[in-house]
Amino acid sequence: MANQVSLRQVSRRRAIAAFVAAFAFAQWTTIDTAAAADAQYPNWKGQWIPVIRTGVADPHLSFDPSKPSGPGQQAPLTPEYRKVFEGSLAEQANGGVGNDPTAQCYAAGMPRMMTYEAQEYVITPDTTYVLLGGDDHLRRIITDGRDWPANLFATYQGYSIGQWIDTDGDGVYDVLEVETRGPFKGPRAYDSTGLPLHFDNESRFKERFYIDKADPNLLHDEITVLDAALTRPWSVDKTFRRNLEPQPEWPERYCHVTNNRIVLGKETYLINDEGLLVPTRKDQPPPDLQFFTPAR
Amino acid sequence: MMERGSAVALVRVFAFMCAVVASTMLTVDTGRAVDDAKYPTNWKGQWTRVVHREVEVQGAFDQTKPWGLGQQAPLTEEYQQVHRNSMEDQKNGGLGNYPTARCLPSGMPRMMTFGFHEYVITPETTYILLTSSDHLRRIFTDGRDWPKNPKPTYGGYSIGQWIDEDGDGKYDVLEAETRYFKGPRAFDASGLPLAFDNQSIFKERFFIDKKNPNIIHVLTTVYDNALTRPWTSDRQYRRLAERVEQWPENWCQEGNANIVIGKENYFLRADGLLMPAKRNQAPPDLRYFTQAPK
Repeated sequence: MANQVSLRQVSRRRAIAAFVAAFAFAQWTTIDTAAAADAQYPNWKGQWIPVIRTGVADPHLSFDPSKPSGPGQQAPLTPEYRKVFEGSLAEQANGGVGNDPTAQCYAAGMPRMMTYEAQEYVITPDTTYVLLGGDDHLRRIITDGRDWPANLFATYQGYSIGQWIDTDGDGVYDVLEVETRGPFKGPRAYDSTGLPLHFDNESRFKERFYIDKADPNLLHDEITVLDAALTRPWSVDKTFRRNLEPQPEWPERYCHVTNNRIVLGKETYLINDEGLLVPTRKDQPPPDLQFFTPAR
Repeated sequence: MMERGSAVALVRVFAFMCAVVASTMLTVDTGRAVDDAKYPTNWKGQWTRVVHREVEVQGAFDQTKPWGLGQQAPLTEEYQQVHRNSMEDQKNGGLGNYPTARCLPSGMPRMMTFGFHEYVITPETTYILLTSSDHLRRIFTDGRDWPKNPKPTYGGYSIGQWIDEDGDGKYDVLEAETRYFKGPRAFDASGLPLAFDNQSIFKERFFIDKKNPNIIHVLTTVYDNALTRPWTSDRQYRRLAERVEQWPENWCQEGNANIVIGKENYFLRADGLLMPAKRNQAPPDLRYFTQAPK
C-alpha cells in the first residue's frame, strides 16, 4: 500500500515537473524570440578608421594596405590590363587624370569605396549598413536570406548579399560573409593611380568581416576580387581601427567642394584660386573655343 | 474532490510559474529589449516626397505651393533681392544661387527633397539614408548635448528626442533640431536663398500619419536670418515599398553638363567642347596658356 501511494505521488510529481518544464520552456522561447535573435548580432558600434601599415608611405590609400599603391600593389593584372595601367600612369605623369574616374568626382565604387575614412556599421537583422565617410555614401549588405534578384540595374557599388555566421558557437554571430556582384558601373580603379578593374564591369567580390580575436577594436575585411583584368583572384586583408572617442566627429566629404580639376574632351585642366583656367602640363593646348564668338 | 496534498502542490506550482514568468520578464526585458521595443518598427522601407503635380514638380520646400516666387517665402528685403538676382542670372543661362546645379551638396533643408529615403532607427541614432548627392543624416538620440566646436557641414548637426505622444508605450514622434551649417544653400532650384551667414536652425517633427501608415510627415520649421519670421512646412513622404529589391544610386556628376570657371557657367558638350551658356558670353580667360586657342 505504501509503495502504491508512493508511486502515485511520484507520477503526480513527474507530471507537475513536466508541466512546469514545458511552461518555462514556452516562456523562454516566446517571450523574447526577437530579443534573442537581436542578441545574436555583434557589437560593431563606433567609428572605424582604415589602418595604414607603418612604413608604407602612400598618399593614395591603396587597396592592399600592406603595400604602396600603384605598381607597388603588385596586382596580378593580365598583360592587357598592365598596358591599361601603364597608360594611366603615363597620362597622369603628363597632367591627366588617367584611369582614375574619382579624380573627376565620379563614384569610386567597389572595392575602392572600402578605403575611405570613418566607416560606421549599423547592423539590423535584415541589412548591415556600411556608412562611409567618402563620396560613396553607403553600402547595404542584405542579410534577409533573399536570393540574387533578376534584372538588377548597374551600380558602382554592386549588389551585396551577406550571411552572419557564429563560427565559435557562443551564440553570437562573429563573421559576416558577403558576396557582391554586378552588373557594375565603371570605369573603376583600385586607387588613384588608376590601377584598373576590367572594363566589362563583371567583377565579383567575396568578403569576410570580423573583429580581430586579439583586439576588439580592430575590424578585418578580407576581400577577394574575382575580375577578368586579373590572372587569378586577388585577396587582401583590409583592417579598420575603432575610434574610442564616444562621440566621434563624422566627416562630410563632397568631391565637388574641393575638386579643382576639369576635363574638357581629352584634356585635363586646373582652376586656380582666382577662378582662372591653368594648364596641367607645359605647352598644353588651351580648350577649343569654336563656339564662342568674341574669342579673347 | 482534490486531495489536500495535491492542492498544496498546485499552489506551489502556480507560485513557481509566477516566479518563472517574473524572472524571465525581468531578465529578458530589462535594458535593451524593453528599450528596443519602444522604437517604431513601421518606418521601414523606401520613402519619397509627395508630389502635388498640379502645383509643382521641381522639389519646392513647401510642397503645396509652386517653387520660386510661388513659395511666398517670408524673405527679408535683402534676400528678396538675392532671389531676384538668382532668377535673373538663371534666365540668362547662369546657375544663380543654386549650388546643387554644379553638384555641390544641397544640405538642409533641400537634401530632404530628392530621391528615396530610408529610416534606420537605433536607440542612439536615427539614420536617414538618402539617394541624392547628399549622403545621409545622423540624428543623435543618445541624450548628448551640442558639441563644443562642431565643424560646419551642409547637413548640419542634428540632435533628436523620441516621444511617446499617445502614451501607448511606443515612441511615435521624433523631434529633431539641426544647427551648424556650411553654405551657400538654397530652398529650391530657383535659388530661393538661406542666409549666407549659415546660422540657420531647423526644428523637425517626424511622425507617421494617423490615418495613412504609408505617409510620413516631417513638419519643418526654419529659423534663418534671410527670413522675417520662422517658416514652417508640413513636408510629406509616401512609402513606395516596405521591402526594397534594389536601392538606386544617384551621382550628380553623371550627366551634369555645367562647368563653372571663375564666376561663369558654361556647358560641356558630349564631344568635350565648351559652349557658352549665355548669349554673347565671354570665353574663359586663357592668360596662362602659351598657345592661341582655336
